[in-house]
Amino acid sequence: MRKSFQSATKTIRNLMTRKGVVFSVFFLGALSFLAIFADLLGFDYLTQNLIASLQPPSAEYWFGTDELGRDILSRVVYGTRTSLVTSAGAVTIAALLGVPIGLIAGFFGGWRDAVLMRVVDVMLALPAILFAMALIAILGKGQMAAMIAVGITGTPSFARITRAQVLSLRNRDFVTAVEAFGGSATYAMFRTILPNSWSPIVVQAIVLASVAILLEAALSFLGMGVAPPTPSWGEMLRTGKSYLYEAPYYAVLPGIILTLTILSFDTIGRAMTDLLEGRHDLGDHTSKDAEPTK
Amino acid sequence: MTNKVLKMFGFLPIALAMMTGPGLVGAQESSSDTVRVAVVRDMAGFDPQQFVTGNFYLIKNLYDSLIEYTPEGKAVPSLASAWAIADDNLSISLTLREDVLFHSGNQFNAAAVAATLEKATDPERGQNVFSTMSVVKDWTMDGDFQITINFKNPTSDRQMLDLAQFLLPIDPAGMDNVATAPAGTGAYLLEERLVGQSLTLRANPNYWRKGEPATETIVFTVFDDDDSATAALESGIADIIYSGSSRSAIRLGDAGYQIIKGPGKLTQVFRINSTRGPFQNQKFRQAFNFMMDRENILRIAYSGLGDITALPWAAVSPAYDASYIKEFAFDVDKAKALLAETGLSAAEMNDWALLVRSRETDQVIAQIVQASLAAAGLDIKLNVLGAAEWREDLLGGNFAAVVAAVGNVQKFPSRVSTNSIYRTSNNPVFGDPHPHPDYVAAIERVNTTVGSDADVQAAYDTLNRVLVEEAFVIPITTYETGLIVAAPNVSGFTVDIDNMFVARTVVVK
Repeated sequence: MRKSFQSATKTIRNLMTRKGVVFSVFFLGALSFLAIFADLLGFDYLTQNLIASLQPPSAEYWFGTDELGRDILSRVVYGTRTSLVTSAGAVTIAALLGVPIGLIAGFFGGWRDAVLMRVVDVMLALPAILFAMALIAILGKGQMAAMIAVGITGTPSFARITRAQVLSLRNRDFVTAVEAFGGSATYAMFRTILPNSWSPIVVQAIVLASVAILLEAALSFLGMGVAPPTPSWGEMLRTGKSYLYEAPYYAVLPGIILTLTILSFDTIGRAMTDLLEGRHDLGDHTSKDAEPTK
Repeated sequence: MTNKVLKMFGFLPIALAMMTGPGLVGAQESSSDTVRVAVVRDMAGFDPQQFVTGNFYLIKNLYDSLIEYTPEGKAVPSLASAWAIADDNLSISLTLREDVLFHSGNQFNAAAVAATLEKATDPERGQNVFSTMSVVKDWTMDGDFQITINFKNPTSDRQMLDLAQFLLPIDPAGMDNVATAPAGTGAYLLEERLVGQSLTLRANPNYWRKGEPATETIVFTVFDDDDSATAALESGIADIIYSGSSRSAIRLGDAGYQIIKGPGKLTQVFRINSTRGPFQNQKFRQAFNFMMDRENILRIAYSGLGDITALPWAAVSPAYDASYIKEFAFDVDKAKALLAETGLSAAEMNDWALLVRSRETDQVIAQIVQASLAAAGLDIKLNVLGAAEWREDLLGGNFAAVVAAVGNVQKFPSRVSTNSIYRTSNNPVFGDPHPHPDYVAAIERVNTTVGSDADVQAAYDTLNRVLVEEAFVIPITTYETGLIVAAPNVSGFTVDIDNMFVARTVVVK
């Protein structure tokens, strides 16, 4: 326990040597803080001030107002809730479905592997956005539907990653030992292999979080997300697009926040991938690569 | 392909327009033998009795009416060169032109009008004209070019003329397939249709109006949204936008483009299904008369293009009464007082959702209404649906309340009953028997009052009072449908009473 804690601490310390990661963590932390404590901080995404519609950014309205005179900053902050909750839910669903699939396929091999991986292949062959739209057509619109749809589209990636990890561990001595001592397949899978497979799965979760945010925004942009007046970034982009001429900030500012959020998740995810691949000296690694060969 | 690329990258001209400002007006000249029209939705069908706004850019180009109205509402000849209304107001005799051919080459005559009337009276085939035919008893042909339409009861002149204006004769040979293949006498023939992309019309060489059409080819390009259509106009890819948004029109007007408005406005209304939940309570419904923030809805959703109204009528309607606007102005306190009289619990009053089309304007209106209701103490949710689902629920009556426009509000008042919610029989929302017999009686009175002006006005007044008291429809604002925004080098517009697009006189210099 102490060893794993030290290992995690070391991983975090290594990650924090990267400026991009530091910025990303800070940005996501600040965003999450605002989203969680939005009510206490006085953000109001709902109140309309119809005589102040489409006001440009000002001291009163930092991000300006939308067509109904609502504070865009407040709607961005509350939109963060929509995005992060949908993303977290989708990642959870994807992991809960994908990890067992990968475990079973990798551990047992044979026909189980073949059947499960072909199913995963079929899911991977379908464009995620189309698959999600089809699911929403069945499930109906709303945040839960978006969460499930995005979660299911993320399932194959978890299954693939987990299966690959299981295959690399399946014949290791500590697994063989568990089986030799009479450990059941379930025990070997969930108590022996899975705890040693967490790292790439966690990285995948972070990467998928950014994909889920983007997908949720895309669905909202297409009018298949949460119902108004609940804000979401995609819905703000969609509506703001219509006011590009009169009020460019309406679409641009939520768009920047969306971009930075995805970029932050992606930066952290890539840094963790680098770490797991053994490239610990991340800060110098990048600059050395950038140097021209003499 | 060009259309697809244009739609995919529709934002690029927008960005260009943003960078360059209004200087692009008229930057590109188009050839004079083609008028390029940007539309924001594909057509629904070629049947001229399917009077839906999606078909408004086609109907008057492929077909002609028996008579026409000037923008001021004066009846003028069209396929009928003359007409005579009987002294007892029980019939109208129409004399038809003899020099008119259908697109197929078949002769236009009284038999074709009779076949068109036959279709209109069929509840399965009559589409939007069917309910209008309820006042018609029968018709008789007096030779090849004379037809008399007989009415069940004495009927006002205006209503008879409205019916004649509403009838666009269909070639009997093409009657069965008219939904998919046009069969009219209009100034243009269908050249090509690419579903969801474009529609091309070619001049009818046998057209009966001499010297028309003025332009050989009309190309309608279907754009996914108003922004793309606007970008097409600004970048010179289109000469005209038909039925774009009021907001874009205002901006383009400021940039030097022409805005052509017609008298045929639609009225945006809050439709109530009075057979459901709390809406069965009349006081509850009446409270909504005071919960519509009409000024702000007009200003924000339609950029001020239109008029606020508490009755369904456009200003040119004979039943229009401006006093109702003041009487039923937005007043949360009055609404609260009425809600308090309903005897309903808060849970009962909030037990419904507002059906909303996913279109931007509809969502804006719905959210303003939602906020107004909240101010009066009602906490309701929005049920946002795509266009197809929304339409299905709207026309099937599967809603508690919905914001949706009604048309035919600029003509004879009883024509409002062509809208599904206002139908006096076979009403898809209420079913039979109609739950608002006072409304049915008021419409009947309007239909049958042909006496003095005072009698007629009294019938209108009764109808207006019944409409606000029964309160199954809460009018909000009229707005421009079929709004035309054109480049400065386009001229010759014919303003249609229904705001349909009439291409036969349009030229691009």
